[in-house]
Amino acid sequence: MLIYTARRLILFLPIAIGIVAVTFAIMQLLPGDPAAVLLGEDASEEGVRDIRQALGLDQPWWIRLGTYYFDLLHGDMGVSYFQNQPVVDAIGQRLVPTLEVAIVALLISIVIGIVFGVVAAVRRGTPIDAFCMLFAQLGVSMPVFWFGILLMYLFAIQLDMLPSIGRGPPLVPALGRALMGNPGDLGLALMHIAMPALTLGLTNAAVISRLVRSSMLETLGQDYIRTARAKGLAPTRIVLVHSLRNAMLTVVSVMGLRFGALLGGAVLTESIFGWPGLGQLAVAAISQRDIPLIQGVVLTFALAFALVNVLVDLLYAVIDPRIRYE
Amino acid sequence: MFSWRGNLSLAAGGTIIATIVLFVLFGPLVSGYEFDQMDMRNRLQLPSAIHWLGTDNFGRDLWTRMAVGARVSMVIAVSSVAIAVVVGVTVGLVSGYFGGWVDLAIMRVVDIFLGIPPIVLALAIVAALGPGVVNLTLSLAAVFWTEYARVVRSVTLSHREADYVAAAVALGASKARILFIEILPNVVGPVIVLATLGIGTAIIAESGLSFLGFGVEPPTPTWGWTLAYGTRYLRAAPWLSTVAGLAIMITVLGFNLFGDGLRDYLDPRGVARRYRRLSST
Amino acid sequence: MKMVKLLCVLAAGALLATSNASAQNIRLGADVDAGTLDPRVMRDTTAYRVVNLLYDGLVQLDASLQPSPNLAESWSNPEPTMWIFNLRDGVKFHDGSSLDAGDVVFTFETILDPELKARFRSLFTPIETIEAVDDLTVRITLKEPYAPLLSYLDMGIVPSDYVEGGGDLSSNPVGTGQMQLASWERGSRIVLEPYGDHWSGQTPANGFEFVVVGDNTARAQAFEAGDLEIIQSPLSPQDIGRLVGDDRFQNAIMGGLGITYLNINVSDPLLADPQLRRALSMLVDQETIVGQIYEGVDQVATSILLPSSWAYDASITQPTFDPEGASSAFAAAGWTDTDGNGILDRDGQDLELTLSTHSEDPNRIQALEYIQFLMQENGVNASISISDWPAFSAGVRVGEHQIALLGWLNIVDPDRLMYAQFHSSGTLNWGGYANAEVDQLLDTGRASIDVDDRIAAYQAAAGMIADELPYFVIAYQGYQVFYSGDISLVPDARGMMRSAARN
Repeated sequence: MLIYTARRLILFLPIAIGIVAVTFAIMQLLPGDPAAVLLGEDASEEGVRDIRQALGLDQPWWIRLGTYYFDLLHGDMGVSYFQNQPVVDAIGQRLVPTLEVAIVALLISIVIGIVFGVVAAVRRGTPIDAFCMLFAQLGVSMPVFWFGILLMYLFAIQLDMLPSIGRGPPLVPALGRALMGNPGDLGLALMHIAMPALTLGLTNAAVISRLVRSSMLETLGQDYIRTARAKGLAPTRIVLVHSLRNAMLTVVSVMGLRFGALLGGAVLTESIFGWPGLGQLAVAAISQRDIPLIQGVVLTFALAFALVNVLVDLLYAVIDPRIRYE
Repeated sequence: MFSWRGNLSLAAGGTIIATIVLFVLFGPLVSGYEFDQMDMRNRLQLPSAIHWLGTDNFGRDLWTRMAVGARVSMVIAVSSVAIAVVVGVTVGLVSGYFGGWVDLAIMRVVDIFLGIPPIVLALAIVAALGPGVVNLTLSLAAVFWTEYARVVRSVTLSHREADYVAAAVALGASKARILFIEILPNVVGPVIVLATLGIGTAIIAESGLSFLGFGVEPPTPTWGWTLAYGTRYLRAAPWLSTVAGLAIMITVLGFNLFGDGLRDYLDPRGVARRYRRLSST
Repeated sequence: MKMVKLLCVLAAGALLATSNASAQNIRLGADVDAGTLDPRVMRDTTAYRVVNLLYDGLVQLDASLQPSPNLAESWSNPEPTMWIFNLRDGVKFHDGSSLDAGDVVFTFETILDPELKARFRSLFTPIETIEAVDDLTVRITLKEPYAPLLSYLDMGIVPSDYVEGGGDLSSNPVGTGQMQLASWERGSRIVLEPYGDHWSGQTPANGFEFVVVGDNTARAQAFEAGDLEIIQSPLSPQDIGRLVGDDRFQNAIMGGLGITYLNINVSDPLLADPQLRRALSMLVDQETIVGQIYEGVDQVATSILLPSSWAYDASITQPTFDPEGASSAFAAAGWTDTDGNGILDRDGQDLELTLSTHSEDPNRIQALEYIQFLMQENGVNASISISDWPAFSAGVRVGEHQIALLGWLNIVDPDRLMYAQFHSSGTLNWGGYANAEVDQLLDTGRASIDVDDRIAAYQAAAGMIADELPYFVIAYQGYQVFYSGDISLVPDARGMMRSAARN
């Protein structure tokens, strides 16, 4: 399994090289000059020339791309043009908040998705089933940012229950303090993360509930379940133990791919709720032509995506012992 | 296995799509307004007998703008999916049939595109090409094509060794013939299902890009643009975002239901769904 | 049941934590995070506003933009090209070191060094040398007389020892201001705390917390929800009416230091004709744009001179909205609708124009959309091109545009809005406007020390510009601030917050 993981990560290398090249090519196509953006609207020609030189933008493209690969190989992602700090630091500060909200969103969506999916499957053909599946359909049909703004309007303004914007205390340390008997920070952190995570998790919850439902229906119809029923096992146990495991297999396998969509959704969610994550950083970097930062953010996303997919495969083997990776 | 659910989905989705088509065709005619006729004294009017859905921030008739916007949004959604299908299917067929290093190279390119978050990729491409209907369409297509490439490749792989292909090879059929006459029909079902669902995704993606400021150029109306603008008037004129948001939701719902219904007929083995499982291992 | 209990405990804990954490700090909404807190290289409005609290300049600008003493106790101007500044004694930086003339010299010498990539370098390039006469005296020698200099000397002074010792002002700023940096969570919040050793001997009772919320609507909602105590321009006009009507909040509107204008490219073959520029200007309905799209926060502009400026003259006026007048002006320039297609033509060619702006500002897009409609209604086939700022500005800078809608900010001196923009050798004269008389007047305005001479020169130049219309100024930008009931502050058109305090 270790060898498998290592092999997968080595396979990521050519992809990373390709991603750098594709991103670089798109950056070349982008009209507009980072040097001019740096100087603002009163940029003079002379000033732009000086800054292009200082940033190395006057070099031919193949030298710049080569330098980037060379530096990357030495663990150096360059310095952001606009943040005046190394790209690694800029990303480091934003990665944790993004993961925080993505993971909480994932948890919320798995819980909602499984509950709705199981209930719908068990009560197949009833109004409850119809209601659950309507939720699932509407959940994937709603633009994320609209849902987010409506949520904010309802919970922050009309009901005044949740803070409208920003991030509370970092979640993991707060969780630690809560376990030590001081839950204040955790409450604050959860109140801040609730709306962004719900917004981000909505589509996912809908997708999962459909998957769970159809997978459960499939297994409920299979022979070994019938056998279990015939042996007189209680129906709830049948549902939970046998079919849920199969349903989870489907959910886990799809989650790897959904994680990319989740990170993408973070771009919109973060800008609505003022969440200091990578998504906002990515949009800002593109709109400022901060080339090293864009490269860094895209690579980070890609690496996270690859890691999650390896993790998914490993989880897969845990849930279904028949699967082995060599 | 043709279920009552499938038929119901198909009927409901079909009805919604047909309604939208009628709205696109006749909506602007029956309103009596031009979509770009401004009237600043009557801006942000509530829905009434004069303006059925009210007016927008320039006093333009929202009904007319929604009808014309439906056309623009549909053109963007349908053509971006169409481009993605053509590119994805071709790439997938070639990759799956030839295998070896061709397959390896193509699939690494697919992986590269999959590794870049969709919205970042779309944003960067719109920023590079500039806004507008055509460029927005291209940027969405650039995000969508990988999905089709992967499905088609996996179906092709499973058919490559089939008897009827071997027979065609033995009879001296050309590679193009084998790919497009023998294998292609097998992928049509799953691809149509995916494409129908993809149209809904494209409509939502267009609204997200509009919200971030990368939409079409005014005064061309799209639903996404109207929704993105409407959220800024959430308090002063809630009907703007509500009308546009509901229109998007119902339309996407229509395409999703239709796609689900089609699945029973065109993709009974669930290839379109299962490809994801294949590709993650 | 257990779950409910747990939630109650959590919520109660959260409430306690909130009230403790924010009892002192005043929370302000910011539209972007600061890129850097080094005053020499700062670029965004958030950085301006934070830096203003962290640092002091040689001078500070009062409400009428007159320079008044700050780190410099006094100054003199013995020759037109020489300025002497006498520094305050006993000023300490946040790191405990003392301010001396060397720090002032260091600040401006590094700004002038292209390596630093300072955005405002061009404001200081007329400086020939800057030297320390003694510990508390600085002498600036200019290449040529440069009257606006004093207005730009509110630039924050940085500690040379700290920077040369490897200190990073970008993320660990050290100034002499009344506030010092407590923490900075990038992309989220900048927390400032009172500095006990300020030279004024005064220590503010509360710190500040700048909270970043990118979306204007979301920021206004956060303010209404009580999560922010101050929000200020840029705001969404559609939120303003509602906030004004809410009696929990106080607000102030004042003339800002910016303009929104149409850059009409005089090097374009069509638009080189001043008569056509005049006719097109008469199709810009400023009243409606300002009143409806900007909801009355901005003011209808009459010329290139700001009402808040000492050079302002209400009698200098550009053309106003007049479709009929435009029609005869078009006819005089040879443009009539001969083929009855609703579009004016000349020599068989329809009058077609492209209007452009950038995608970041929804109000500008709306204003342009409205102008396009008016042009279309009056026989000009106008189309719109919108791209993001880097792409848009790249095109404008090389004069590829026809008519572009954009703005200028921080116009603390008329020179800032006119010299580089309209002088034939100006670095921001993208359309290549050239008028020898205007050149001469702008040279006079820049070189003359006598305010009356400067006023006369700028007014004469503004009159010519209003006549020839390389720019059509649509609006004087307004500045608006909303603050909740328990905050007191003296609004400042640049959004500076030194006066803000809790009641």
